Amino acid sequence: MKMEEVSMSSLDNSKLEGLAQDILSDLVEDACLGLCFEVHRAVKQGYFFLDDTDQESMRDFEIVDQPGLDVFGQVYNQWKNKECVCPNCSRSIAASRFAPHLEKCLGMGRNSSRIANRRIVTGNNTNNKSESDQEDNDDVNDNDWSYGAEKKAKKRKSDKVLLIFFAEILQV
Amino acid sequence: MTPFLDVFCTQTDRHNVFYPLLRQIMNKDSQMRAAINQKLIEMGERERLKELLRAKLVECGWRDQLKAHCKDVIREKGLEHVTVEDLVTEVTPKGRALVPDSVKKELLQRIRAFLAQHATL
Repeated sequence: MKMEEVSMSSLDNSKLEGLAQDILSDLVEDACLGLCFEVHRAVKQGYFFLDDTDQESMRDFEIVDQPGLDVFGQVYNQWKNKECVCPNCSRSIAASRFAPHLEKCLGMGRNSSRIANRRIVTGNNTNNKSESDQEDNDDVNDNDWSYGAEKKAKKRKSDKVLLIFFAEILQV
Repeated sequence: MTPFLDVFCTQTDRHNVFYPLLRQIMNKDSQMRAAINQKLIEMGERERLKELLRAKLVECGWRDQLKAHCKDVIREKGLEHVTVEDLVTEVTPKGRALVPDSVKKELLQRIRAFLAQHATL
């Protein structure tokens, strides 16, 4: 049935008001029923009373706001020396030095793997140096392997180019 | 479905001259209501009104009040034995009564505006 079929212009104000009231009561009824169904489902599923907390348990988890204590109510010492145990060498290291130590100890940095390997080898063979260890030492001392030496070599090359360039200018 | 008048009119009333006229008026009225409800649903206005009402009721704490009442009903009836019917019969009257006048007024204005807008159709 279309709205056009029934003319509403014939309705007086009292009827319109009654109609509006009916629609409103329908909507309120819907809201109430919706809540009832929701609550019933929550009850049957077992999560309706989950948000209930007794005051005693709430007191246990209150945030503490007192000087000298942290939010949990524990004594907080600002200058306490925090120490970490290295998982590799089992040494106790200050927290501020833990990351640099791990870099060297685990061999995760640039050249630290070589240092770590060398340490392991020297730890195992204090007196007898193996060939591989000697090779390692050679590598460390070798200019071809070092990062700084590469830089220097590059510098030298650029210097040579400059010298040749200036020599050509002078000749001209 | 039995017409509204047939329930309240006796056998002698039905032979009354005004009975067909009354029945016609009632039919026209129910037709009107059906048409308006259909239009509300078609245009999505009913859903919008529903959402507005829900938001306003949450805002004014109606929902929390009813939930608290539901808790009382559940504790009274027992967690295992409570049914939807129990909740509906206990909660709905209180729900209707607890709706604030300001919310009712706002919604009635919206409904009136809709009816006025479509009165000419």
